[in-house]
Amino acid sequence: MARFELDRNRCEGHGMCVSVAPDIFELTDDGELQILATAVSVDRVAQARTAADACPVRALQIGD
Amino acid sequence: MTTSQVSTSTVDLFADATLQDPFPAYAQLREQGPAVWMSAHHLWAIPQYAAAREVLSDWRTFSSATGVGLNPQINEIAGGSVLISDPPLHDDLRRVLSSRLAPRALKGLLEDMQRQADDLVASVVARGTFDAVADLAVAFPMSIVVDLIGFPDEAREHLMDWAEGVFNTFGPDNARMQEGFTRTQEMYEYLAASATPDRVKPGSFAATIYEAVDAGKINAAGGLQLLAAYGSAGMDTTVNSISAAVTLLAQHPDQWAALRADPSLVNSVYEEVLRLEAPVQGFGRATTRDYQFGDLTVPAASQVFVLLASANRDGAHYDDPERFDIRRKALDHLAFGLGTHTCAGQGLARMEARCILTALVNQVETVELSGAPTRRLNNVVRGWESVPVTVTPTHGKAN
Repeated sequence: MARFELDRNRCEGHGMCVSVAPDIFELTDDGELQILATAVSVDRVAQARTAADACPVRALQIGD
Repeated sequence: MTTSQVSTSTVDLFADATLQDPFPAYAQLREQGPAVWMSAHHLWAIPQYAAAREVLSDWRTFSSATGVGLNPQINEIAGGSVLISDPPLHDDLRRVLSSRLAPRALKGLLEDMQRQADDLVASVVARGTFDAVADLAVAFPMSIVVDLIGFPDEAREHLMDWAEGVFNTFGPDNARMQEGFTRTQEMYEYLAASATPDRVKPGSFAATIYEAVDAGKINAAGGLQLLAAYGSAGMDTTVNSISAAVTLLAQHPDQWAALRADPSLVNSVYEEVLRLEAPVQGFGRATTRDYQFGDLTVPAASQVFVLLASANRDGAHYDDPERFDIRRKALDHLAFGLGTHTCAGQGLARMEARCILTALVNQVETVELSGAPTRRLNNVVRGWESVPVTVTPTHGKAN
């Protein structure tokens, strides 16, 4: 399992993570980021990492 | 420093011939290692993706307070601006407009922006043959950005020249940099004399900046620097990315056909354009301590130049990196930088590009070059001076 940590002070709602993994992240109508699954299974860690790497403001971190 | 491990290059990254086509030089530098000593300008180039990411992610080691420009004058004169500063000063300055530039704040502009893009594209399609730079890529951001920032109307005719000048000042001490300072000086004189609180448009970004000055959140000099920073950064970069998008699509009919077949690719296209043709090719940093890239030590107080455009073509990170592939979804490219100083206006740039590309997909059947594109050379910005294209209209809407 891998777990996301979102720094809301940094997040500006660019939505790059949503483009990578729309079933994990969602932007609300107000443009706020929602994490639909705070933990993902091992087979999806690579995708989770891609989503975190795509964040321009580095608001997403992945921990174990 | 263990000199035997230092890889050196004599390439002048800022010579006209290199600026015309820097990619062979970048490829050579990537081969040489994560940090390469550039003897022509006494700086360390960072040409590989992984190392560039490391540098951009570590502002404490790779400071923007002194080393963003590659000459001492710019770092001195523009020191303490949002670009040439570290946290916490940087954060105070960026915060003035960050909430207004966040995508959630821009959403309300979309409908009007799309209509403007549709109208502009309809006018050039009616002409058939036009200059994708002047008639489209400059015209569109000009119509959007000047009003958003709120400069008085007479600023329009100068904005592109000023923006180009500002970016030239970030290069090494050469003729382009000297001329850039002259234009930047003109911009500052204009802004101080004419983009005053009583003359900027109500509700604009400029008005927000002046409110922050009045509230004591930033000082007056900081306010002027913010006006200049957003006024210049909002133009040249967006213009060049839209020009690059049209050019690449005209040069790759298969990719244009794929986009026409699936217009939902408009977002993906723009990211791929940015990856291949990063409008800002690189920015500097200054090391605050010795830093190890593998076996190689870059000493403290070194000038570093992060080659964003080279990182984006690193074969160690992207498969077949020279290929223009609109389905690539290279969302982790570094064209907008990363982390602390990542482009504050990237949400706006994406929105402008999406509107223009959507309008093109809906209204244009075929697009091809009708002449040879010509380059405009700048110390840090890569862009076209002119891109003659011919388009044919669609018979109906594409979607």
